[in-house]
Amino acid sequence: MAKEIRFGEFIREISANQRAISYNELTPDPKFDADGNEVPYRAPRLRLRGIDIQRLLTPYVGVRVLDQVRTVVPLALYLMLFQILILRQGVSDVWIIVGGFGAVIVGLMLFMEGLSLGLMPFAEVIGNNLPKKSPLPLVLLIAFILGVGVTYAEPAIGALQQAGAALDVNKAPYLYYILNERTQALVLTVGIGVGFAAVLGSLRFIRGWSLKPMIYLTFVPILLLVGFLMFDPELSKVLGLAWDTGAVTTGPVTVPLVLALGIGIAAAAGKGSSSLSGFGIVTMASLFPVIGVMLLTVVISFSISAEEIILLAQNTAAAEAEPGFMDNKAVSIILAGVRPIVPLVAFLFLVLKLVLREKLSGAGIVAYGLFLAVLGMIVFNVGLETGLAKLGDQSGGLVAGAFAAVTEIAGSPLYSVAVGIAIALAFAWALGFGATLAEPALNALGQTVENLTNGAFKKRTLMMAVALGVAFGISLGIVKIIFAVPIAYLVIPGYVLALVLTFLSSEEFVNVAWDSAGVTTGPVTVPLVLAMGLGFGNSVDAIEGFGILSMASIGPIVSVLMTGLFVQYSMRRQEQAQKKSDEVSAGAIAT
Amino acid sequence: MSKRDIAILTDVALITCVVQRGVAEKIITVAYEAGAQGATVNFAKGMGIRERLGILGVAVEVEKEVIHIVVSSDQVERIFEKIYLAGDLDTPGMGIMYITPLEKAATYIPPEVLEKLAAPVAGG
Repeated sequence: MAKEIRFGEFIREISANQRAISYNELTPDPKFDADGNEVPYRAPRLRLRGIDIQRLLTPYVGVRVLDQVRTVVPLALYLMLFQILILRQGVSDVWIIVGGFGAVIVGLMLFMEGLSLGLMPFAEVIGNNLPKKSPLPLVLLIAFILGVGVTYAEPAIGALQQAGAALDVNKAPYLYYILNERTQALVLTVGIGVGFAAVLGSLRFIRGWSLKPMIYLTFVPILLLVGFLMFDPELSKVLGLAWDTGAVTTGPVTVPLVLALGIGIAAAAGKGSSSLSGFGIVTMASLFPVIGVMLLTVVISFSISAEEIILLAQNTAAAEAEPGFMDNKAVSIILAGVRPIVPLVAFLFLVLKLVLREKLSGAGIVAYGLFLAVLGMIVFNVGLETGLAKLGDQSGGLVAGAFAAVTEIAGSPLYSVAVGIAIALAFAWALGFGATLAEPALNALGQTVENLTNGAFKKRTLMMAVALGVAFGISLGIVKIIFAVPIAYLVIPGYVLALVLTFLSSEEFVNVAWDSAGVTTGPVTVPLVLAMGLGFGNSVDAIEGFGILSMASIGPIVSVLMTGLFVQYSMRRQEQAQKKSDEVSAGAIAT
Repeated sequence: MSKRDIAILTDVALITCVVQRGVAEKIITVAYEAGAQGATVNFAKGMGIRERLGILGVAVEVEKEVIHIVVSSDQVERIFEKIYLAGDLDTPGMGIMYITPLEKAATYIPPEVLEKLAAPVAGG
């Protein structure tokens, strides 16, 4: 017996069974055809056992579900707990809502995965090749159509369409008319706005334009239109909607697709990609739709009067059309999933085939991705209706019970007016703060900013600044609804303040700050906040509950710009202190 | 002028493990716990398994992480096995690993460790 045993050999004996197999037995021998030419080897498909499939899919699905759970569940819990603990009200239809949230999680997961597998390859191939092969006007035209298409595909846009149903035509006829009778025109207008943003953004990539003058220029028409609309008592009610559309457009479809195209254009133009040039498109994409919707309102106001709309609404209500094929619930839900994605894909495919004559590798996976995207959209829409919108509407309506008489709550108001309003504001504040910090896009933005500023602007600082901005913005939005403050009185000072700060800040911070507004309004936050605002508005008898989202996007712009100025200021002070101490030490050496 | 010393390590082996992006951290933690002293990670792109899995191929990330771990020949079997189990390498698409024998290696070795090795073992 040997005195020493090698530890390695010892271990080999006691642990898992090892079996040596020669790799030669697994690799194929070369095959030759009759002429003696080698036949290329093609690996056969693997056949998997059930357990293999399960083990393969578990981590794949798990990671993606967790991503969505992390953003959705805390929000839902917060709303429910608030309702139960502070308002002492049970959540009605709990199981429907829980099921709805489940559908939102699954739907978003499927949709995001479908987006990255099915749509992004198109955008990348087109972005890389189109600018090299086609003249600039054609590229811009395609960018424009793409901008319109992605708006239809944005999941949150469905929430906007749904929001119209609860409106009272007598209180806000134009708002009712746009949301119910002219939904298609509304979405198209928003899309055209995003389309122009994509064109301008692409030009900006090529020419390296600065964002500041673009912001100043955009504000001339915005201020003119707001001025025109706010003095007409009927039209001014549409302003809240107009500003809210800006927040809706900058979701998980628009931003990556338009960016992929823009970056491709910049690379082809030989401008490289300064990491900053990626910013700014989001800003434009959230400002132009505002202009678009205001213009639409003006056009409609010339073609139809408020009385005519009320008459029209009464007629349609009386002549409730019998349910046809399109009105079938299941069919309409499926159509709502197919309609936004299929035309966009068809367009991208045509561009690829006719303009570029390029092939897409991995057609099977792309098809699978598109299938997932459509499926995800359908499931998400169901969840939106039964989960997000329902809970938002419920808590929004009940929060009002803290300070006002609400029929659903026995013995409301629960608290005195001052305390009740304070509770409602605190509720909105915490909701905005939490929802923003949970938004995954903000984390990514924070990282980019920290890298860009060499750590001067910490990721944590940015995230806090944005979250605080959104929190105060949402609270302001609630104030707007409670006291029926015209939205123009909040929006104009807010944006003028943002303009002044923009003027004072350096280009980098301007880019970051204006984009942070778009980042905060994801597919979960938007429907929830919209529904909450509308429910809240209904129970305090406000004319319309829009405007919270727009306040939530002004807030972070102002807060990030201010933080940016502060960071700049402290950096400059540090530098000066550094210089002084250098001079002192230099002087010491000289003497 | 005295020459600088190099302590040459013998009995070393290299474990290389290719896994999907994001998994490396788990693998390295396991290797550390089994006594590995360090690890290097490269990013890479992989091909092959995705095509052969058909529709299930979408579950396999194209982007890979390549982990290099230099271990002693006494450790190599143990760590090899731990990595295999931690990485679920018996599942299709999870990755591949291999051992390469190394002739020599050199790196920083704490002086007190060197002294201890140089001293005769007490008690023989």
